[in-house]
Amino acid sequence: MKWTEIFFPFIFVWIIQLLFVDLLSIGTVRPDFPLIIILYFSVKQGRFAGVLSGFLFGLLIDLSGSAMFFGLSSLTYTIVGYISGNLKGVYNKISPILFTTSWILVVFFHFLIFCLVQYQELLLVNNSLFLSKWFGTSIYTLSFLIIFQFLIPLNKESNVKSR
Amino acid sequence: MHGFYLTIVRYKDHFLFVTTITLSFFLLLNNQNPNMGVLRGKSIELVSFISSPVTFVKSLMSLEVKTEYLRKENLLLALKVESMLNLENENNELLRMLEFKKRSTLSMKPARVVNKGMQPNLLSIVINAGAQSSIRKNQPVLTSFGVIGKTVEVGENASIVQLITDTNYRLSVRILPSGATGILRFLKDGFGQIREVQKNVKVKIGDKVVTSGFSDIYPSGLPVGSVSGVLDDRGSFQKVVNIKLPSDITSFQNVFVIVEKIDEMD
Repeated sequence: MKWTEIFFPFIFVWIIQLLFVDLLSIGTVRPDFPLIIILYFSVKQGRFAGVLSGFLFGLLIDLSGSAMFFGLSSLTYTIVGYISGNLKGVYNKISPILFTTSWILVVFFHFLIFCLVQYQELLLVNNSLFLSKWFGTSIYTLSFLIIFQFLIPLNKESNVKSR
Repeated sequence: MHGFYLTIVRYKDHFLFVTTITLSFFLLLNNQNPNMGVLRGKSIELVSFISSPVTFVKSLMSLEVKTEYLRKENLLLALKVESMLNLENENNELLRMLEFKKRSTLSMKPARVVNKGMQPNLLSIVINAGAQSSIRKNQPVLTSFGVIGKTVEVGENASIVQLITDTNYRLSVRILPSGATGILRFLKDGFGQIREVQKNVKVKIGDKVVTSGFSDIYPSGLPVGSVSGVLDDRGSFQKVVNIKLPSDITSFQNVFVIVEKIDEMD
């Protein structure tokens, strides 16, 4: 795989997330496009590339954003890269429902870790508000991921042999 | 040694995963490290630079609406100033009679919001003013409606502002006219909750909420919001007061940072 095929999509997503994601926000909730690209990249390229891209891209986001917890993005995206990397080449081996459920759970798990660190106190004080934050952010990003499924299905990415 | 190398190559995925997770935890646990602050200060400079053209275009797009709004606001303010000048004269007269006069002014720096962060939740923003504009860490940030946050990281020409919408944000406030104090935290959708309010004070819907002045960061009397509900549980020793925050956190583009408080004692 050429380095430009990796570099440009990630830079494109970074610019979109940095400059235009605010236009898609509902209240204070915004879509997480880096999560989507890392999920696609890991499913296509496997665990090693997934972890590496997740960590580096997370670090870039922590540096370029105004994150309150520096290092949180690199932590969550690394975990996403590792778990979703396991889905490489397995679409034909497991049931499609199991495959789809797996990447949906990855999204929920990513936001669970994010919310556990970001809203740790809220979990103790107000459980329902914590759950609404977790599900709100997860479902909003998931809705974009589902739209992407119609353009580039994840199952096809899973069966593509990486060069 | 060769065996160890082969093991690493064989389990490189897991090895890389453990290494990167360890590094991430190291970064998370060293958030307060001053060197980290310097690094983040430099990086937000770059973000501010990249974001500025888009911010400029956005601001041009809303220029006409803004001008119309400012004209109306200007007229309203002119009327208010007139009435306030009369009140000030009356106040000065009363203070002179008490042989005490204290005037407190705030020195503010205007700034523009250049980026609203990359996190999936809006918790902080980047503004285009930093150390060169005398801005330091932990200074209050306002809009014309009231307090919206405080600076948490400062670069040369840009700063990160933690917003009031961050659930980890706390603000010591006073409810007027009762004078009751409490701790404010953001709840959701433009609403906040004040806890630790004494049970015996009378609080009504519509009462004004301002900063208490107990904090080292916020001067007293900065507007925060207005009371929208009071929860008076029999079993509790304290009241819980819900408030509506006037600032629309998602839409403002210009803010003010209070850089210093000047006290003049005559």
